[in-house]
Amino acid sequence: MKKPTFKKGIHPPHSKHSEESALVECPTPDTVYIPLSQHIGKPASPCVAVGDKVKAGTLIGKAEGLGANIFSSVSGTVKAIERRKTPTGACDHVVIENDGKYETEYLPELKDNSKESIISRLAEAGLVGMGGAGFPSHVKYSPKKTVDVFIINAAECEPYITCDYRLLVEHTKEVLKGAALLAKALGLDAFYVGIEDNKQKAVEIIERTAGELSLKVTVVVLKSKYPQGAEKQLIYAVTGRKVPVGGLPADVGVVVGNVHTAFAAYDAVENNTPLFRRALTVCGGGIVEPKNLWVRTGTLYSDCEKFCGGAKDDCVKTISGGPMMGFALPDTNYSVTKTTGAILFLGKEEANTLMPGPCINCATCRKVCPMNLMPMYIDAYALCGDFASAKRYGAMNCIECGCCAYSCPAKRPIVQSVRLAKRMIKEKGL
Amino acid sequence: MIKTVSASPHITNPRNTTRRIMIDVLIALFPCFVAATVFYGYHVVINLFTCLVFCFGTELLYGLIISKKFSREGVKESSVWDLSFAVTATILALNLPAVMTVDGWGVNALNADGAIAFSFDSVVLCALGSIFAVALVKMLFGGLGKNFANPACTGRVFLLIAFGTAFSSTASLFADELATTGATWLGTRNNVTGSMLLDMFLGNTATSAVGETCVIAILCGYVYLSVRKVIDFRVPLMIIGSLAVFIFLFDVVPGTSGADMFYSLVAHVMSGGLLFGAVFMATDYATSPNTFLGSAIYAVGIGLITALIRAFGKYPEGFSFALLIMNLVVPLIDKYILPRPFGYVKPVKQSKAKASNGQKEKEGEKA
Repeated sequence: MKKPTFKKGIHPPHSKHSEESALVECPTPDTVYIPLSQHIGKPASPCVAVGDKVKAGTLIGKAEGLGANIFSSVSGTVKAIERRKTPTGACDHVVIENDGKYETEYLPELKDNSKESIISRLAEAGLVGMGGAGFPSHVKYSPKKTVDVFIINAAECEPYITCDYRLLVEHTKEVLKGAALLAKALGLDAFYVGIEDNKQKAVEIIERTAGELSLKVTVVVLKSKYPQGAEKQLIYAVTGRKVPVGGLPADVGVVVGNVHTAFAAYDAVENNTPLFRRALTVCGGGIVEPKNLWVRTGTLYSDCEKFCGGAKDDCVKTISGGPMMGFALPDTNYSVTKTTGAILFLGKEEANTLMPGPCINCATCRKVCPMNLMPMYIDAYALCGDFASAKRYGAMNCIECGCCAYSCPAKRPIVQSVRLAKRMIKEKGL
Repeated sequence: MIKTVSASPHITNPRNTTRRIMIDVLIALFPCFVAATVFYGYHVVINLFTCLVFCFGTELLYGLIISKKFSREGVKESSVWDLSFAVTATILALNLPAVMTVDGWGVNALNADGAIAFSFDSVVLCALGSIFAVALVKMLFGGLGKNFANPACTGRVFLLIAFGTAFSSTASLFADELATTGATWLGTRNNVTGSMLLDMFLGNTATSAVGETCVIAILCGYVYLSVRKVIDFRVPLMIIGSLAVFIFLFDVVPGTSGADMFYSLVAHVMSGGLLFGAVFMATDYATSPNTFLGSAIYAVGIGLITALIRAFGKYPEGFSFALLIMNLVVPLIDKYILPRPFGYVKPVKQSKAKASNGQKEKEGEKA
């Protein structure tokens, strides 16, 4: 039987080395650095002062406008509020000295399980889309348009990353119940799970558990192909609907949620625990022991690295996020946030360190572009400063999945050119 | 230690490189080279060697002069190592007759039988063609991928026009009838017989370019390139198909009748530079459109112009001209034929949207 999927795309090696390693708790260091901007929108404003005693789960940053609450991940004393670098820039971090007691402060019990109280709980617990974008959940789950399909995105199409898979296998009940809660917030009682066919074990467990819990779950097994987990491609594969250019999934009546967000929603509603820890994958050929970890936010990447045996000598690249869309980092002095799904250490063999050559117009990038654009011309026009032409060839519709650059024989950094074009088009108002 | 920082994606397909593509094309060209050597003798090897040396030299020297790095480093960084020069050289060598003699020069070494043993003229012409193709057509426009016309094809056309008499075609070494020596079927348009078609298919015939002689060798190259996904297998088929349709209308129907119509049509498809060009030259990346619809227009255009030249033109064969003319249209095709992005919605108020776009463009111009 032909498995549902989208058109075009690529088949990078799965490299899921950490697939079989169970989630383990990563020891939390003596000091944590919790960024106040872990989401899309305005950074939260700090509501603790230096010297304050906090517990794990104490509100330390309050959401302003479009944003999400930030909670302390350990119990201890606030040492400082200082500006530190993040993978995408810099923001204020609350520095907390860990007293090692891990006393936890819980949110108040929910009065009822109604739609409104679930949404207010999502806001209260600081939930964001944990797949990487970090869009505040309470906004996402109260769409202005009527939604009739809710999809849990378990595709995890990026190579190396396995934390969503481990969550699905080890915490199936929590994830499914959480997903049911999110569906309820949208006014639905059924939902889909979109999952790639390389995770057959998870498919079986989900189907069995859904039967036990008598939830209305439709598991859609998709072809393993990158970017199967990109929102628009996933929606097309599962429902056959096409999100209009420049539109949102809600325009076609669909909302897509992340596996980890569902788990966090369960934690927030049933256990009254705000979001201050997450599962993440430490993987790659440049790390001694690839592992899946439970990490409290504010833990430094270097602490995770140490727990996994440290980086090997031939590690040439450190990446926050997946290898296709993540950010390369010069060192590991960064904090784990709500959206850090993976920390990768790539060895010389696997990392792309080749120098770009001239474009030969082979049209491979057009053949693999899941958005059906012409990346070679966006690249060429962006580099010569003709951003209006770059827009004509579809720069604004690019999802930055990286299929073009992955398959480019000349190894051109096409995605970077697209980002430049997007930015300049916005700045110039073209 | 500070790690490498670069834009995503951080992994790539290491086997997929420009050089790998060029090597694939060279492998695909190899059967044609072997067939040419078998049918036209060692002159082909001399020609190929000359073309390779001069293409390599021209590109290397051009790069060194432009970068002003006359050192080991400069040679190392030179663009010749992507091997695209070798593809140009091989296609050019296979696109020329085995022996070219220029009236007035005629510096040839003859053997005991009075046949040409070594033609100095051919070497000079090969060198000229190579320098023309690489320096003028490829490097002056910015090197690999930036040229708007196929370098090898332009080199051939340059030699054809400038030294026209040198292109009197050569017959196969195995040709038993001396009468047919030096005239291709496209030049004579004799009545076609079954044995002629077989000879054309095998390559035992007179051609004006050595590479296009053996259909089997070209087919081997075509299958290899298609399987390796270096070329879109539909493009050569579209070119050949459209040529067959147009030549049938322009030349076969007026000229022949009955079973001859079929023979004549097949002879048209199998002779001249059509097959070789459709597989190896029309599929050149830099000078062909990047969308399927664009490729279709390009292919039909080549077929149509080739048919027109063959049917009505003064030259017996017109594939190279057709290819060059369509090369010029490629930027235009790629400008106006765009794929529809995923989730494309037809603008509802088209006239209004157009008006506002136009305004914006005008504003942009003012700014």
